[in-house]
Amino acid sequence: MRKTLLALALGLTTTAAFAGPGHGGSQPSVSDADIDRTIRFEAGDMWFDPERIEVAPGETIRFEITNVGNVEHEFVIGDAKAQEAHREMMRAMGGSHGDGHGGHGHGGHDMAEGEQGGEMPAVTIAPGETAELVWTAPQGVGDLEYACNIPGHYEAGMYGNFVRQG
Amino acid sequence: MARSRVITHPLSRRQILKGGSALGLGSAAALGLRPSWANPWGQSNVYSKGVEEGPEVALAIRRESIPIAGQQARPISINGTSPGPLIRLKEGQDAVLRVTNLLDEPTSIHWHGLILPPEMDGVPGVSFPGIAPGETFTYRFPVRQNGTYWYHSHSGLQEQLGHAGPLIIDAADREPFRYDREHVLLLTDWTFEEPTSVFRNLKTAEGYYNFQERTIADFFADVREKGFDATAEMRGMWAKMRMSSRDIADVTGSTYTYLLNGHSPEENWTALFKAGERVRLRVINGSAMSYFDMRIPGLKMTVVAADGQPVQPVPVDEFRIGVAETYDVLVAPEDDTAYTIFAEAMDRSGYARATLAPREGMAGEIPERRQIADRGMEAMAAHGMEGMADMAGMDHSNMQGMDDAGMAGMDHSSMSGMDHSGMAGMSDERSNMNANGMLAAGTAQPGSRYDQAGIGIDPSERRMLVYRDLKAFTPWPDRREPERELELHLTGNMERYIWSFDGKKFSEVTGPIHINKDERLRLILINDTMMEHPIHLHGMWMELENGQGELIPRKHTLNVKPGERVSALITADAEGSWAFHCHLLYHMDAGMFRVVKVS
Repeated sequence: MRKTLLALALGLTTTAAFAGPGHGGSQPSVSDADIDRTIRFEAGDMWFDPERIEVAPGETIRFEITNVGNVEHEFVIGDAKAQEAHREMMRAMGGSHGDGHGGHGHGGHDMAEGEQGGEMPAVTIAPGETAELVWTAPQGVGDLEYACNIPGHYEAGMYGNFVRQG
Repeated sequence: MARSRVITHPLSRRQILKGGSALGLGSAAALGLRPSWANPWGQSNVYSKGVEEGPEVALAIRRESIPIAGQQARPISINGTSPGPLIRLKEGQDAVLRVTNLLDEPTSIHWHGLILPPEMDGVPGVSFPGIAPGETFTYRFPVRQNGTYWYHSHSGLQEQLGHAGPLIIDAADREPFRYDREHVLLLTDWTFEEPTSVFRNLKTAEGYYNFQERTIADFFADVREKGFDATAEMRGMWAKMRMSSRDIADVTGSTYTYLLNGHSPEENWTALFKAGERVRLRVINGSAMSYFDMRIPGLKMTVVAADGQPVQPVPVDEFRIGVAETYDVLVAPEDDTAYTIFAEAMDRSGYARATLAPREGMAGEIPERRQIADRGMEAMAAHGMEGMADMAGMDHSNMQGMDDAGMAGMDHSSMSGMDHSGMAGMSDERSNMNANGMLAAGTAQPGSRYDQAGIGIDPSERRMLVYRDLKAFTPWPDRREPERELELHLTGNMERYIWSFDGKKFSEVTGPIHINKDERLRLILINDTMMEHPIHLHGMWMELENGQGELIPRKHTLNVKPGERVSALITADAEGSWAFHCHLLYHMDAGMFRVVKVS
């Protein structure tokens, strides 16, 4: 799964500065040419719109997610089990990731810890802001969902499913 | 685990006439109706007592024979059912509700939690003269809110006879959660006695319904555990307060049958779901006197609204619902199995129960009931420091002694309550003053215990909702600091069954509580009694200052625990006269009622 993660994106205003500081150079940078498709969607209180995205394995997608809600949200890609493990962790930590970002979730862009220390592509979006995430769909994309795991948000319906195309 | 059971449900004449729109068991599918999950908004009208869709609704109030819990009963019915049908309105509608009184006494309907013109609020003697026998009164008001509410009679003790029902307002805009299906769960407490005799019993014999009084056997058990001196001292203390430490509720399961959607635990009303669905449960405590602790073993419940107002979601295992409160929770049952919806009365004298199941005829296990709680030291925390001194010489040195003796009542939860109310609060107070020298808006009062669910709850057992958890999504429009504080003591004499505000029964006060139009007011409620009181203000929201700053939640009914000091901000934008009272029916009738006049 780690392989499938090509890059984590910064805010829209800084799209030019891919692989900027904080990514540690472990992820290769992605140029616009590598992106097959851009999907714009909304994160609200407590939903994602759309709730279902069709993706073909190997496809590289740029997500542009706007938080139209009143509270902070995150966008995390992973299978149901990993998402649940991430939720448990966030609940135990009282809603933050304890990742040194002062309790403000992922601090903009991060890897979310899933089950067995596995990492999931993740981005945190403040109300009114738009964030980007670039990601290449793995073979098993049909088993993945996207979710917000801030305590109560997933339970209130804030998740969506990837559907394997073709 | 699931055992089937055959129960016969008597359908009322009207239910049969309506050709299945009022369903005895909530089995829409069985009758070939459009399944609720076919609706994209997840709306379902599956409610066991029928549905009246707005904006125009006609309601007929009767007293008639309808069996309850399989026994002969004479409740008050609304359109032939008791409790009444679900009234479903839509935000933005102009509601027209025609209520015809077919009783031989005056009646009324109050739309609990709705913001509407004062003459439409339905309180006889405050908003209007009431509805005389044979008359029809037409309520007309614009629907400017959405969520889960209820309606009930505001005349005498009629509410105890089942004169109540759910009121759901569908939102004009998207709500901050999503779900595939919904069910309404209305909790009520039914007695086969006439409410007037219940009240007479309460007046003449304190503890009439309390079969859990400490006995001589308890006394000797206590002596064994605590030693004679400490035991005698505790007893003396309770005697002096004219109360028993087991007065958790004044009317109990000894006369009450607790009902869920009008059905007794044995009738096992069933709410259907399909595995994998997200189900919204709209829980309403429409009982006269009973608080409930609700849980669904095996399912996490996510609280998404309180008193009809959306709150940031809180996953919990259990929640306490005070009389007249409503909570909306989401559950996501994954398995094709039956789950028990279990609402245990706070005093543990009984429970209401229903089943959440994929099919009719299933039943989950009924959880073991908890032991009756003892008010014990909670009562002490209650009265704060001054109160302590009054009580049978309960000063600090004695408390030390009691500690050594290992007093059962002095559990850690109540002790920490004392800390929060006293010491910790004090330092907050100084740092949070506003320009008027009052606590800043949204700050929790010293003496509040918003981080505790209350008596009889072991917080280590499961995650329980507390008032502190309730947090709005956005600040309410009026962000002004309070200009004035209005302090009211909740007072009572259990032995004489007198309940009052500031020591005065409603019959003893000379005029209304005056509030200036458009002022921003802080209402401070101090509970000087040993019981919970659900305090309800008509016409205006109360913003509960639970420490969530500008995201404090709005409520129509506030539970004030024994000895607790609770505050709420009010924007006095609703000109007119409004009722303000304890929502325990017999407390209200005994005098815990005031009129608030905004002008």
